[in-house]
Amino acid sequence: MNTKFLFIKMILAVNLLSGLAMSSHAKLNVVATTSDFGAIAREIGDDLVQVNVLAKPTEDPHFVDPKPSYIVKLAKADILIEGGAELEMGWLPPLIDGSRNAKIELGKPGRVLCAEGLALLEVPATLDRSKGDIHALGNPHFMTDPINACHAAERICDAFSALDQEHSATYRQRLDAFNKHLDEKLVAWKKQLEPFQGKRLVAYHNSWPYFANRFGVKIDLFLEPKPGIPPTPAHLAEVITTMKRENILIIIVEPYQNMKTAETVSGKTGATVLEFTQYPGGVQGTEGGYIELIDYLVNTLATALSKERSAEEHKP
Amino acid sequence: MSEAFLIMMWPFLACLLLPGILVYMGLHVVRREIIFVDLALAQVAAMGICLAIVLGHDAHDWQTTVWSAGFTLVGAVILTLTRPSGLRVPQEAIIGIIYVVAAAAGLLLLSRSPEGNEELRRTLVGEVLLVRPSEVLHTFAIFVVVGAVHIFFRRQFMLLFFNPEQGRSQGLRLWFWDFLFYVLFGVVVTSFVRIGGVLLVFSYLIIPAVSARLLVTSLPAQIAVGWIVATVSSIVGLYCSYQLDLPTGAAIVCALGLTLLFIAIGKYVVRSR
Repeated sequence: MNTKFLFIKMILAVNLLSGLAMSSHAKLNVVATTSDFGAIAREIGDDLVQVNVLAKPTEDPHFVDPKPSYIVKLAKADILIEGGAELEMGWLPPLIDGSRNAKIELGKPGRVLCAEGLALLEVPATLDRSKGDIHALGNPHFMTDPINACHAAERICDAFSALDQEHSATYRQRLDAFNKHLDEKLVAWKKQLEPFQGKRLVAYHNSWPYFANRFGVKIDLFLEPKPGIPPTPAHLAEVITTMKRENILIIIVEPYQNMKTAETVSGKTGATVLEFTQYPGGVQGTEGGYIELIDYLVNTLATALSKERSAEEHKP
Repeated sequence: MSEAFLIMMWPFLACLLLPGILVYMGLHVVRREIIFVDLALAQVAAMGICLAIVLGHDAHDWQTTVWSAGFTLVGAVILTLTRPSGLRVPQEAIIGIIYVVAAAAGLLLLSRSPEGNEELRRTLVGEVLLVRPSEVLHTFAIFVVVGAVHIFFRRQFMLLFFNPEQGRSQGLRLWFWDFLFYVLFGVVVTSFVRIGGVLLVFSYLIIPAVSARLLVTSLPAQIAVGWIVATVSSIVGLYCSYQLDLPTGAAIVCALGLTLLFIAIGKYVVRSR
């Protein structure tokens, strides 16, 4: 018992000392759940903020392993940026409870829910677990549509401005620059994918409806039988049949999904497996930020689709 | 560091208050050479949780607890019935079979559930870092009750483990005490599995007990050494988890393993001198 109290006393003593050492910091301390929000926060905050991202870009954002440092980061945060569409609901709430940080409680200006005010797709009429990992608020992978990223950027800018009014003009300026850049890029991206309107693709998980809607492709066939449920032999056989019948030649897989499943299906259908990611840094070449991420996705897809087209044209 | 205390306080308390009874039961389990019985019972309880989830309950609903407890009871009955009595099958084999089949059945059940993989992982490694104060207190209360039963009937339990022949000749109904032991054991294991996961439960049961048996012979001394090993390893594990940012449960398991290694090496060195 004595050792226990000694240990607690030691910790308390060190706490007091380190608490005195760090009194004030000028930069806003920002924590983002995933690297897409993190990248946009850096874009708008730049030198005025310190951004920490919790989930690794290669990690499944539905399931993140809790580590002590996450609670430390949340405890120090002035602002927490999350999707707010139940994507992080399996792991974030207990971490927030553990951080005991009133600044990032729900409803406080330090808590940014990027999906707030967005019309999400696939809002279920009834909630039924038997349909898989269904989210009550709709499909939470909204950031794959650049227009939604603009919306998120605005929410982030509002929060920065509210908590650091001195620099609100700077934040607004950077937001405008970001949105302008994104708008220009959007025109180019749409043009790049224009020739492939209505093309049907296969994805491992239903993470791409927003991307598909924006760019006019169809991503409605999945290797998972239901969201979150691992592929079963019967379902894969059905997917393979459909792919052969409709001549679908592209499978989209994200870093944390089972590559082997995709490769098996590709072996049976001759389809190409494309490494996609929703998060900057998830795949090599996407580290730069949100715009670089969408650049990568559109380029990869356009290249694969045009290869497929030229192969078809050369068929006898 | 200023957050270290607040963040690690409840995991710390959980690792100080709760393993006490696990260490004690571990000494029984190691002595009787039914080492994997906790894994088997924990897995049977986890299968109950899996079934409850498939039936549409949440992992934290009371129905889930009932399912899990019911399965544990059935597991205890099977273990009691298979107590070796001239059977040509060692009980360890039965225990292994129960473990493997329960684990596979859990996999089958959860393959139909969207959060299946996540739940399976959670039963394995637990989330001791995110333990809630109420969970620690509830579990501690349960352990106090179980401990009280053990102290109250200590004569019967001691005979059961250390001298069953003498117990039988004294008219002790061995099967009943066996059953009671498994039920209490199941309650302890399943309630700690929900906090620490299967790996941590197994480690707290077996490693301090084995360390203690390496060093001392009398039961009270073994209990004392076991508690010291568990406490020191918990503190080291929690400290490393915080400082090096490692998953908490796994860090404690490795700290326990290293402690055992040091004790074994130390004993070897002392003896060979």
